[in-house]
This record gives sequence, structure tokens and C-alpha cells, in this order.
Amino acid sequence: MTERYLILEDGSAYAGKAFGSLATTTGEIVANSTMNGYQEIISNQIYHNQIIVFTQSSIGNTGLDQNAYESILPSAKGVIVREYENLATDHFKRISLDKYLKQHKIPGIYDVDTREIRHHLQRRGNMKASIVDVADDHAFDQLHATVLTNQQVAQVATPKPFPNPDEGANVVVVDFGLKSGILRELSHRDCNVTVVPWDFSAAQILDLDPDGIVLSTGPGSPANLPTSVLKMITEVQSRAPLFAIGLGHELFALANGAKISQLNVEHHGSNHPIREIITNEIFFAGQEQGYAVDPKSIDHAQLFITYVDLVNGTVQGLRHRDYPAFSVQFSPDGAPGPKDSVGLFDDFMEIMARRRDNNDDRY
Amino acid sequence: MGKIILDKMAMQRALTRITYEIVEKNKGVEDLVLIGIKTRGIFLANRIADRLQQLENVSIPVGELDITNYRDDIEHDAVSTDVKMSNNKINFSIEGKRVILVDDVLYTGRTVRAALSAVMDLGRPKSINLAVLVDRGHRELPIRADFVGKNIPSSQKEKIKVYVTEIDDKDAVELIK
Amino acid sequence: MTIDIKKVLILGGGPTNIGHENELDAAAFERLMALKKTGAKIIYVDNNAFSVTTDEIQPANVYVQEVNFQNTVNIIEKEKPDAVMATTGGLNGMQIAWQLAESGILSSNNITLLGIKPADLRKVMDNQKLRDTLTEINEKVIASKIVANDDEAMDFIREVGFPVIVKPMSSSHDTSRFICNNTDELEDALDVSFKRTYIKRCSIEQSIVGYKEIEMVGIRDANGNKILISGMEDMDPIGIHSGDSIIFAPTQTLINEEYQALRTATFRIMDALNITGTCHVQFAQSRTSSNYFVTKVSPFFTRNTILAAKATGYPLTYVSSFLELGCNLTEIKLPSKYSKFLAFMEPTMDHVVVKIPLWPFRDITDVDQHLNTLMKSVGSTIGIGRTVEEAIIKSMHSSQFSPRDVLPSVSTVDDDDVINQLIHPLASRILILMEALRRGFSIDELSELTQIDRFYFYKLNQLLRAQDFVVNNPLSPQSIEIGHKYGFGDGMLAELWQVNISKIQQMNQNYHNRVTYKAIEPSAGEFLECTNIFYSSYELENESRPFTEKSALVIGRGGNQLGPNSAADYYTSQILRSLHKCGYKTIIMNTNPNAVSLTPQLSDKQYIEPIQLGNILNIIDLEQPDVVILPGNRHYLSKQLKQFKNLNILVLPPDQKVATYNQKHATTAVDLFIEGDEVLPVTTISFVGKDQMTDLRFINDYKEPMDNWQTDEAKLIADASKNIDTHEWQGLVQVLYNTTGDSNYEMTGIRPVRITETAFLTKITGINWINVLVRKYLGKLDLDSLKDDLKPTEHQRSAIMTAHFPFRELQSGRSEGTTKQEVGSSLSFKNFE
Repeated sequence: MTERYLILEDGSAYAGKAFGSLATTTGEIVANSTMNGYQEIISNQIYHNQIIVFTQSSIGNTGLDQNAYESILPSAKGVIVREYENLATDHFKRISLDKYLKQHKIPGIYDVDTREIRHHLQRRGNMKASIVDVADDHAFDQLHATVLTNQQVAQVATPKPFPNPDEGANVVVVDFGLKSGILRELSHRDCNVTVVPWDFSAAQILDLDPDGIVLSTGPGSPANLPTSVLKMITEVQSRAPLFAIGLGHELFALANGAKISQLNVEHHGSNHPIREIITNEIFFAGQEQGYAVDPKSIDHAQLFITYVDLVNGTVQGLRHRDYPAFSVQFSPDGAPGPKDSVGLFDDFMEIMARRRDNNDDRY
Repeated sequence: MGKIILDKMAMQRALTRITYEIVEKNKGVEDLVLIGIKTRGIFLANRIADRLQQLENVSIPVGELDITNYRDDIEHDAVSTDVKMSNNKINFSIEGKRVILVDDVLYTGRTVRAALSAVMDLGRPKSINLAVLVDRGHRELPIRADFVGKNIPSSQKEKIKVYVTEIDDKDAVELIK
Repeated sequence: MTIDIKKVLILGGGPTNIGHENELDAAAFERLMALKKTGAKIIYVDNNAFSVTTDEIQPANVYVQEVNFQNTVNIIEKEKPDAVMATTGGLNGMQIAWQLAESGILSSNNITLLGIKPADLRKVMDNQKLRDTLTEINEKVIASKIVANDDEAMDFIREVGFPVIVKPMSSSHDTSRFICNNTDELEDALDVSFKRTYIKRCSIEQSIVGYKEIEMVGIRDANGNKILISGMEDMDPIGIHSGDSIIFAPTQTLINEEYQALRTATFRIMDALNITGTCHVQFAQSRTSSNYFVTKVSPFFTRNTILAAKATGYPLTYVSSFLELGCNLTEIKLPSKYSKFLAFMEPTMDHVVVKIPLWPFRDITDVDQHLNTLMKSVGSTIGIGRTVEEAIIKSMHSSQFSPRDVLPSVSTVDDDDVINQLIHPLASRILILMEALRRGFSIDELSELTQIDRFYFYKLNQLLRAQDFVVNNPLSPQSIEIGHKYGFGDGMLAELWQVNISKIQQMNQNYHNRVTYKAIEPSAGEFLECTNIFYSSYELENESRPFTEKSALVIGRGGNQLGPNSAADYYTSQILRSLHKCGYKTIIMNTNPNAVSLTPQLSDKQYIEPIQLGNILNIIDLEQPDVVILPGNRHYLSKQLKQFKNLNILVLPPDQKVATYNQKHATTAVDLFIEGDEVLPVTTISFVGKDQMTDLRFINDYKEPMDNWQTDEAKLIADASKNIDTHEWQGLVQVLYNTTGDSNYEMTGIRPVRITETAFLTKITGINWINVLVRKYLGKLDLDSLKDDLKPTEHQRSAIMTAHFPFRELQSGRSEGTTKQEVGSSLSFKNFE
């Protein structure tokens, strides 16, 4: 058991034991309090350039299985756990967490006080961190000197369009660092999906004659993407039903005149009640966000706020007043997290069906 | 026993979506009035009104329409207009309003045709739209809904039953074979 | 949109028995604290002799009666409440509520049943209706059918597939059942079964033997908002009653898809039943597919509802009280120590909780001790740690009969017996699993034999490796580190190495091994403010700050076993209240998740830690309490603690001269309170044993005052007072007499008043004797006011405490039990004729 260190930008150092890859990496450190679905979390591209601290103390208990990855090539920079279990054998033919992290060159550290780290981050806010062999001045210098890329979407999204054929509604998914859960939900509903790169133009998308368009989740700040993306959104939203999730939601908001701000402490978990304004009901969903739509910046003549987080007050959903275009900050696909809002995909299907059946005159 | 096609959650979502679409289509809620067709249409209209209240912070009038005597497929004695109207509760003028008729199931279209007649008897609205929770097909008249919660293709032998908690102790849509 | 309630009748849980212990009283107590804020008048019915709740309500509003249908009807007729809360009455409470609904009593008296509507209650209590309801919402239940011949059986098989369980239908007590995996086995089983049934019917049901048992506890408000409090996983497969299974929270071996499916199912079930409050749903989850069945729906307080709350730190009872009253989740105002968001956040855990059941087989030996679908445990203890291993070991610390802090082992069992017990588990289940691993059984083999997930064997294996390392490397710093990491604790290390604990404490100091305490709170560290419930782990950050005020540590009793445990919990709770009144900040440590003494309203700080020397000393080291109180007769622990001269240990009742007997028979007793050289008579008691037995071990009824008190009491009190040597006896003392009739009494002994009877005296004399004792030993007793309150020979009515024994539940033929076999007691009052 090799001893390795997690060092933080503010000078903190944590000694722990290594598992997974022995690479030295740097990323933003974030705590995730979701209790189930470490596999889905680690493989989600939203964690590109991030080191994930799991607050749930025992990770790896069920190994990893082929059916639950959120991406093929995970891009997280590290995994920090209190205790990990190197289990693989099961009826789902799983591989162990250790082996998976080694395969994908992601380092892990266990046997650290993850609860203390969580408290620390809550107090100090977001910061960079490295996983290193030695916690010396050199390592801290390297950490301070590292500038993380802001071209995150380009690094994780598909460079070329590809189809996921089926016989149902014709859906174009714009990939900003897509999580597979979205595709899974569309597949369950027999959608004929085309995944297109994030920098496709409105014309390229509309040429595919979509019944609906999905703007996917993805890593990083929406401000790092060129304005051409926003232009694409404003052009397509009046032409086909639009469903935007995560980073897609943030871009949808920006395209419609709202502003985005960075959270002091990123929120990753599924424990915050989300209130649906129209019914006043609360529900839960996986949330992984470092940015949020500023509610004060919303032009109510254009957008409804549809959902809010009752704990931190962030906007969790928007809907266009004039078009069947809506967005959510959270992950309704439940991979991982509660499936309370998975019906949003059914809504999207209904909207698309209406448009097809009626040859809707609204467009 | 029936098979549940829409459960409580799905029903809620359908009404929510209809509400958004009403705002979308009417470019707002100005001059909007809701008229529920008895019995369950009334409860659904009230729920849509509650949603509009939450969303836009405006109170949209809701009327209740009993079209039993307007049905062309039910034989009834000749009755006076006064009596015809006796079961309706529409305490507002529909003159120049955008009327949204709300019903639970759209089937042959005869109920809606009757409702249209009844509404027209009351005045001259700016427009009339139709919102239904379920469209099960088999239209006998050229009528179509503007807002549909769920299309449920069904055979004519089957029955569609809508339950609302206000009177049925549960929210659900069931297909009964 | 809350329901306006002016007067509410709350059903109590009744005396402790197999199936429920003090958790219902704890829930009722917390509920009471919450409801006091609403201003509603509370009527309570319960005959649990050790109920803390009944002490909290004005005596005029408490009905000390058996919680049954007829009594409830009588109370309703007299009190005319406008609502009934039955959920704290457990299953019995729900059955009464159902009867009240079905008989029309609720509707004719215009009474609202809180928590669940009568129409929905029927869907739960009527098994067929529950199946229909679940089927309607597409939740699977185990299919079963009564068949009259092989053809019908085959039709059923074609529908549901193998495996199935075949049982002959018969009115006699035939419990035989056959598991069939194929047609041949089915034919054989039907053959045998049809021969055994004279009504010529067999029942066939889908077999889920070997499935995982998963438990979910959720809450729901009238608006349909729902939160999942916790998922829990039984280590043992379906086939062993969940009350007899080792339980883990959170779930350990479910993948996200499976977990979310069960969470969603729980919500759908709560919706279908329109529950406002809490609901506990049990599932059977396949090991080889995502298939699952709903096996049980309990929309009332159960032990595992309480476990879910204890495991997550979520104020479940408090919140559910308001939910039952119709409050929305977002409207509930929590007590100030909680973050204002916590009521409507879904709890998330950053620790592991393991619950190990305790069985009564030491005290009741002549029963079938195998674990099966019939629940046999009488209590449980929990261990909490940051790792699975730590939590397992900590729960094991407290689950053994020996007071010594050793890891028990079953190394003397022979190989055949090990295999036999793997397949037919006994109470020592977990020890056999460890022993099998030690003997080299492979994990695959063990998983196959026991149907226990491999994960648990990996964890047990780690523990064994850690234990071996620790044993083989005595007194090394690495051993201590590993020992701490895996939850062994200093006390267990000292026992393993046969050294005095001070030696290990010294090493801890040298190597800077500091124990840390972590808060049990439902946000996994998101909120920096925390509740005051803690467990230990050897980590970086300590979250427990000692009180700056005067403080007292009370050492709880741990898991319920047979004997005076419920009474001891009552006793402990009263000590906490008394200390609080005396101006102390109170700290309790306990491991019993069902203990009333662990309810957050009863103390300022709670530690869920093994009741063992090492753990106690660590807490003392941090808290530096002014006094440490050890309730109950725990001589081993008291001896261990007393070797530390710098501690202010108070044992209650104090270790004084133990009982002196001329003979161990008595019919009558005089209870005295002795302070200094003053002897104050308290009251007199008649003992009633079954069949007029006077053997002290077999007394199961206590009557106050004594029989013939009008003629004999004064004389006997005078005699007792005269015979007491105040140099030898202090506090509550009982002088025992045997009568041969005709007002002849022979003194047979003197003993301190036992805990059970102290509780009894507190319930019936109008004086809180536990408070009196605490004050006496803290030097804060106001003797004059006690004297004013004491009216030893004035009796308005007769009070009777009756001990209960779990013989029927354990299917034992026995009828009379000893005081060591008591599981709980009931209280009743009778007017004099």
C-alpha cells in the first residue's frame, strides 16, 4: 500500500493510501454526497478536470458493470474515498474499481478523513488540488502553477456526428460532454438519435429534420464556449422542441439573455429538495453543478423559472414562454440519483409527438 | 380490473405541460378563461387554474359546464333554454375572451361539439381552444384538441376511465378491457 | 392546510415483547414533545409499566390500560377526541385503528384517523386488498395459489415459473414446506402434501428463498411530497426474519439502478396508500437480476423505522408527527439545533451502521434456536463506524453475553457443525461465518451455502486478517493503528493482549493516537452546524466539543436482553431528566437504537458507542464530566471503572451490601427510603407468584399496597424500620417477609429495591424515586419536602405490575418464568372493593 498525498491549493495536505493509477494529477476538488452510483459519477464527463471526494464512506462495494457507464473514456482527475473495496465478482461480470481506475489512468486515494475534507471545502470554497507522491514545496509550486484548460467541452465531446438508430422520434443530441444516461432514456423511448458535435450550427442540426433537440450535460463553465453556440440555440429553439440538461441548461439560459454565476462551493449530490413552482411539489434528482443561472438576470417576458433548489435557492429549470423549449440543471435520468423526474423525458416525447401528429402550425 | 396508463405523477405532469402550452399558444394569460366540462373536466380546469396562479400569479376564472342536454346523441324532451343552463356555473362574461374548454377524455367529439354549442349560447368569445387529458381517438366529428395530455390509442371495445382525487380518492387514468 | 386538532388520542405500544421493545415508547415520547407545540390536548393509553411517555402527560389524561379495541372504544366514548394517532402503537395500534374504522366508530364519532385514511388502511391490513393495490400500480408481489390437483399446480407454474414452495393446507399445525426447483421435485412435493391435507388443498407460492432483503423507510406529506429516509440491507437472505437479521445502513450491495427502483417503488406505494407520515416497505431483491418483490408494507412505527432515523440522524418522529397532522414537509419548523433545511432534505450518510440482534437463548434454552421466518430476538445493538469493518466490530462489542470486551469466537465447534450452522443458522450466526472463513472455506462456497452476498465475506475476511495481525503483534504501534481502524477499541486490545488498558492509553499518548468523534447528521457534512449525536472513529477531525458547564455522563444499558432491561432504560431516562433538573449538561452513551434514553430530547449529547471500558474512558477523557453515572447492576463494569481513582463514579442503585436472605421466599415487602440515619417508609408490596409460589425467582406480580394493609401494614412498617441498620443500608431498601396467614409475618431478608420495582414505585407513589436517588447521591436532596410528599399508609387504589415472558412467541411450552426471563411488564390499577 503506497502512501500518497492529496494536496490542496490552500496549503492543506492529506496523507492517504494509493489505489487505481499512480499518476500525478491536478484538478478542481469537489465533494459528491450521492450515496449510490459511484460508477456513474466517476465516468461522467462532467468531472473532466476534477478530483472527486466521495462523502459516502464505503466505495467500490459492487464493482463496475458494463451497463452503467456514463461515458466510454472517463476524464476525472482523481477519486478520494474513506474506504474502498476491491470487489469484482458478480453476476453482472463486473470489474473492480481499482482495475477500472488503472485502466483509465485515474489515481485514487483512500483512508483519508473525507468528512473533514468536505467540511474544509464547505468553509473554504472551490479550489485546485493535486494527487502526488510527495507533499513537498515542489508539489505545491506545481499545483499553484497548473492552469487547468478551459477547452473542456472540446476535449470530451464527440468530434463527429454519429447515429444511435431506432424507429421512433428523430432526436438530435448536441454533445457537450454527454452522459450516457440521457441516451439510455431516449433509447428506452425508441428514439432515433443522432449525436452531433457541440459546435454544429443551427442549419446543420435542422438539416437533420429533428422532431426534437437535446442539449446535453457537460463539464466546465458555459462562459468558456463561443457565442456561436448561443446563436445556434436561439435559432433552433423556435424550430423544434428543445430539452436542455446541465451545461445545456446553462447555455439555454445564456442564449435567452440570462446570466450565469459560479457557486462558491460546487454542489454534487441528490439530497436537495427541488421545488416545481407550478405545482409546489418537491422531488429529488442528481445534481452536479459548479455554476448556476442568476435568477435576477432572467427576463420573465421570455422565460419561466420552472424549478428551484430549496436549499441554495438556485434556478433548477427554465422554460421558454413562446416555444416548447425547456431546460433543467439537474439530471433527470437518475444515473446516478433519484428517478423522480425521469418523466421529463416522457414530456419531451409528448411534445415531439404532438408536433409530428399536428404538423404543428406554431413553427 | 383496469390497467393504469397514467399514474398520479404522469397525470400531474400532463396537466403541467398543458398549462405551459396554453400560455405559449396564447402568448400569455390575458383574457383567458377556463371552462371545465362536467364532471372531471371541472376538476382538471381547476388544477390548470391553480397552476396558472402559481406560474403567473393571476387568478383565471373557471366555469363549469353541464352539457347533458346539448348532447345530440342523447334523446331528451324539448326543454327551454333556461332549464338547459341551470346546471352551468359560469359567473363571468365570455364576451371577447379566450376560452379554454377542458375535458378529461376526447373520444367521438360529441361532448365537445355540445360544449361548443353551449358556450356559443353564452356569448361571443374571441377564441375557443380545447384541452383534454386523454385523446383516445375514434372521432366521429371534425374536432381536434389543441392541448393533449396523452394520446392513448384504444379500441372501441376498451374503456378509458379517468380518476381524480377530488372525487375518486386517487389520480389515475385506467384502460379497462 | 393542517388538520385542526383539539384533542387527540394516541395509542401506546404496550409492554416490551418480541417484535417491539422501547422504540414505540421512544416514538410516542418524541411525538408528545412535538405535539405539545400545537396546543392539542393529548390522551394517551398504554399499560407499559416502564413507559417514559406516560410520565410526561397529566395523569388525568393517561389511561393505564391494555391497548386493545374495547378499551380504546371506551376511552373514545368518554373523552370524545377529534383524532386518533395509531402509528406509535405499532401493528397492534394499526389493527385497533382498522377495527375502529370498520366498526364505524370513527365516522360516527367524527374522529379523524391521522396518518392514513380508513379506506387506505383497509388496503394495508387486508392482505388481499394490499395485493390488489400493489398489482394495480405494477408492483410485484409473490404470487400464490391454492390448488386441488396437479394440473392446477402446473397451470400456476406455467404462469410464474420455478422455484416454488408447496405447503399442504391443513387446520392442524403442519408447518412443512417444500421448495421445488423442477417438475420432478414438484410432483414429489405435491404427492406428499396432498397426503397430509384432509381438505385436499395445497398452497403454492413463488419461492424467493435466497433473495436479498432490502428495507426502505420513507415519509410523505399530504401534498404528496416524499423523502426516502434510508435504505437498509439485511445481511441474511429472505428466510430469516428481518428482526433476526444483521442489518446494514446504508445498503451495501445494491447498484444505483436497483436502489433507485426500490426507492421509486416505495414512493409509489406511499402514494397509492395516501400515507401522511412514515412508511416502512420491505422488498425481496433478486441476486441475479433486477427483479424484486414487495414483501411487507408497514405504515407505522417499526424497529427499523427507528433504525433508519437513528442511522441518518434525521428527526423522523418529530417530522412525521406534523406530517400526520397534515403539515407540508416544507412548513415544518425543526428545533433550533437543526439546519432549517433538514426537514425536507433527503438524508445522505457518510458512515455505516450495523445492527446485530440479541437473542434470549441464554435465559430460555428449551426452544428451537434456529433463525427462520419466526422472529426470536428480544433486542439489538448498533455499531457505527466510518468503515464497514469498524461498524461490524463495534456492533459485536455490545452484542455478546459476557461483559468482558472480547471478540467472542466459536472455535470449538466441529467442522460438521460449522457446515450445519451455515445452512441452518443459529444466534451465533456471524461468529460461525467468521469461523468458517478462518477454517479456509472459500468465499464462493460460503456465499453459496448461506446466500449471503460475497461482499460481507470480504469484509469479515479483512476483519480476520486485521485481528490476526493485532494478535500476532502485541503492543506494536501498527497493531494499535490497525486495531483502531477496524474498530477493536482500546478495551478489546487490552483483552487480546492481556494487559491493563492504561498501558494502551499510554501508548496512544506516545504515538498521538487520538480518537475523534463524528456527528451523525443527515447532510454528510454539507452543513457545518451539527446535531449532538456522535460516534467515534480514528480520523483527523473531532467534532464533539466538551461542555464548558457542569456535565454528567450516563452510561446506558446497551441492547435489550431478557431481565430488567426495559426498566433499566426507564431508569436511565429518569436519571437524565433528574440530572438536567439539577443543572447538569447530560451526556448519554448507549448502543440500543430502540432505547428511550437515546431520544434527543432527553439529553444534551448522545454517543452511540460500545458500552465498554475503552470507549467509556475515551469519552470521559474528552468530556471531563463532573460525574459518571452507571445505572443498573453491572458489577463487572463498575469494578473496571472504579480502578480509575480520579473518576467520580456513581453507581445507581449503589453497590452496597448485597441482599441478605434468611430464605429466598417472600410474600410481602416493606419498601423504605433511608437517608443518613433517617428511615422513611415508602409503601408495602405483596408478591404474587404463579400457583402461590413464594420463591423470589418466580414472582411475577407486584401489588401495592400489600394484602390486608388495613390491618397489617402499620405493624409491618414499624417492624421493618426497626430492623434496618442505617449504617449498612442507604437509599431505597426492601425488607422481605413471608406470611403464613393470620397476620403472622416472618422477616426473610433485606435487599436494595430492584430497578424494576423502583420504576414501579415511581409510577405509583407520585414520587419520582429515581430523581430522589440521583439527588441523594449528588447531595441535593430536599428531605423535608420528600417527607411532606410521602404518604406511606394512605392508599386510594391498588396498583399491580405484572411481568411478561416471551414463551408464546418462542413457541415454548413453559408458562412460569423467572425474573431473569422477563421481557417486559404491564401496569394496572384497581379500586378497592
